[in-house]
Amino acid sequence: MNKFLSDKYAIPRNNPTKSDKLTNGLLALFKSPVAQILLFTVIMGVIGQLSMEKILPYSWTSAFATTFSYAIAAVGFCLLMGYSGLASLGTGGFIGIGTYSVYYIMAESGLPFLLAVLVAILVAVVIGAIVGFISLRIEGIYLVILTLGLSEILRNLYMVLEDKISFTKSPVILGITITRQLALYVVLVFLAVVMIITSNIINSPTGRAMLAMKNSTAAAQAMGISLMKYRLLAFIICTVYASISGTLLMLVVRNAMASQGTGFYALITSLNILAAVIIGGYKSIWGAVFGSFIMYGLQTVVLNNIKFLAENPVIITFVSGILVIIVVMFYPGGLAQLVLELRVKAKGLRTKMREAKYGKDLG
Amino acid sequence: MAKILDNLLPSTAQRAVKLRQSYDWIKTELSELDAVYEAKKQKALDSFIVKANKKLAPLAYVACDKAEYADSIMEKKLQEYDVNKYLSYRAANHKAAKAIFKAINAGEDWSGALDVMKGEVEKIRSDRAAFVGKLRLKREALIAKGGASDPTEYNAMRTKLEAERDDLSKALDEKYEAVIAKKRAALEAKLEKISGQIEDNKARSAKIGNLPDDVLLSVKGLKMYFGGLKAVDDLTFDVKKGEIFGLIGPNGAGKTTVFNCITRFYDATGGEMYFENKYGEVVDLRNYKVHDIILQGISRTFQNIELVKEVSVMENLLVAGTRAYRSGLVVHALGLPLLKKEEKLMRQKAMRVLKFMGLESYANWLAFGLPYGILKKVEIARALMADARLIIMDEPAAGLNDSETAELTETIRRIRDEFGVTILLVEHDMGLVMNVCDTVCAISFGQMLAIGTTEEIQKNKAVQEAYLGVEEDE
Repeated sequence: MNKFLSDKYAIPRNNPTKSDKLTNGLLALFKSPVAQILLFTVIMGVIGQLSMEKILPYSWTSAFATTFSYAIAAVGFCLLMGYSGLASLGTGGFIGIGTYSVYYIMAESGLPFLLAVLVAILVAVVIGAIVGFISLRIEGIYLVILTLGLSEILRNLYMVLEDKISFTKSPVILGITITRQLALYVVLVFLAVVMIITSNIINSPTGRAMLAMKNSTAAAQAMGISLMKYRLLAFIICTVYASISGTLLMLVVRNAMASQGTGFYALITSLNILAAVIIGGYKSIWGAVFGSFIMYGLQTVVLNNIKFLAENPVIITFVSGILVIIVVMFYPGGLAQLVLELRVKAKGLRTKMREAKYGKDLG
Repeated sequence: MAKILDNLLPSTAQRAVKLRQSYDWIKTELSELDAVYEAKKQKALDSFIVKANKKLAPLAYVACDKAEYADSIMEKKLQEYDVNKYLSYRAANHKAAKAIFKAINAGEDWSGALDVMKGEVEKIRSDRAAFVGKLRLKREALIAKGGASDPTEYNAMRTKLEAERDDLSKALDEKYEAVIAKKRAALEAKLEKISGQIEDNKARSAKIGNLPDDVLLSVKGLKMYFGGLKAVDDLTFDVKKGEIFGLIGPNGAGKTTVFNCITRFYDATGGEMYFENKYGEVVDLRNYKVHDIILQGISRTFQNIELVKEVSVMENLLVAGTRAYRSGLVVHALGLPLLKKEEKLMRQKAMRVLKFMGLESYANWLAFGLPYGILKKVEIARALMADARLIIMDEPAAGLNDSETAELTETIRRIRDEFGVTILLVEHDMGLVMNVCDTVCAISFGQMLAIGTTEEIQKNKAVQEAYLGVEEDE
């Protein structure tokens, strides 16, 4: 670069034109995760709006709102499992922390919704810290059993507190009354914030420290990474996200029953989130969001349009079960891995098509 | 409970840690200062050259020999043509070959197909000849249009621009020199202040003990029992500053256990370990947790490669710098500019270490799938990232071939000389140990057999017996 033109003749240069610069700039912008997440959120918002105006099926709004509420918990779980190497089946119980905190705070003290969410987050921090502390001594399958037990304890606590809770009055955020339909936008804003924060953490020294901890605790400790700090952190983040997810679910669904076997706080939620993260790819936040769509949104958006499946909803459970088996057997990295492999395959296919047309390149 | 609170609340000890962290960070900044401004200068010069070339281009056209200029352009065009036509040439060949095979398989006469193929190739050739003819005409026209060459203006401009570039370079040098001097002075003042505070802190903390001036690490009566098994029993040795210290012994002698005791992976059953840390204090290693050992200036490599396989080599090095970052979780979560600034500096430092190890071309490779020899080097590079005073290597030559081992010997010496660190290594490869070590300590069943220079160890009866077995008199 640091050279003048050669003495002999001017080299014709291909200087990039203004439009080239613009396209390059835009491409670079959309490679940044923040822009991608914002774009995704905006597109989903537009789809929601279309569905509210009944251009798209009306049921999509609540389906997307539910999906993305669960996706927030799934993103936290992805950080816990994919990056910190810790397993948990406590998501269901943690989701309840948010729901009950917000319910009691709003009912008892009449605080505004966002402030109630803040308090719910603080409660989640405390419980996450406790579980994280336990995870220092217990690992692997034992930790799974322990979190499962904790989740059931929490659920029983909810049952004793108040079995059936419901939001009778729509909460108000910044002067806007949030109806069940408008809840989608609140969910999307929270999802965008959570995804941006998570992707920042993943690409920061903290994320690297978590990965190092997952790969080898010995090496991580020798490099100055405190297991206590990062395990606590991972569990706190996971619990906080689950708690946010719970409050948003309440905003969308409006009532919940703790004793119900298929409710928010039951084991089925923990398992579904686990399945979502496994299907999507346990190291990809996009995978987590897509996985939750498969677990929670697919039924309303796609499968209910098929008459046979709409009449026999039990089959859908089988489908998701089979999907998990297939993914674990053939794509341990989940759909994120599938996408990567498809890209490589597409490249190979292009070469193959070229060869069919022009013959093999013999150099 | 008090212990937990001590961990959560900022205590004097933690303030001391923060202080030392700032000290280390400023030191890193100081060491990278020149490189930062070198890059800035290069960028400024590059952009100047781009502008200058834009100015020069029209003059260069006037100045050049038109025949040569036309030749170069034509050559380029012909190349482009060939590249474009190559695919159609291949397609024609492929199609003809297919037709011929089909005819052969069907048992028909295939001379017709061959003719077709010949015809196509001929056509492509004639096309090319026609194109070359056209190019020749164009070339003539270009030469005729160009006129005579007149380099005076170009040369004058060029001399002027070259002078300008030199001036700019000098001006930048002067400017940056002043800036660097100012920054350096500021950083050094800060460093002075912090080291004053550290001294203050040191004075207040209880005096732990004194080591002789030339000793870095002193292990006294180290005991490590696993139940009834005495893995290490009453081991005493001193590691001197700037030496390469080897720990040898037959399998199961307790070498790695000694390492794990020093790096606090195991809580020693008994004995004392004193170390003169990065800040010149003598510390009792037993007072530190395993993840705080690196802050005292001890880093280690592992016998089996313990890298993060799913991230790049560069990021693996950055893992070792986790404690060097001063930004906290909030900055990381929000992706604030402070983190970017720190990342840049750390990456620069990591790149320097990678260059030292001859690994710069692997910086952006995933650690997964790299050859074993390279990964071993990355492990050493990672240990170097921590600005350690003592590097502990656990069998660095395990699994390496002869030439790699020879390279490793050289690397270990270079690390000692250029980074000024002391190296403590466990090794089975006697060739390496005898080649590289200044002092060797031989142990067997957790007990010291002998300590001394390599020659002394080689001649020692007890060591020979431990390795080769006892000679029985008949």
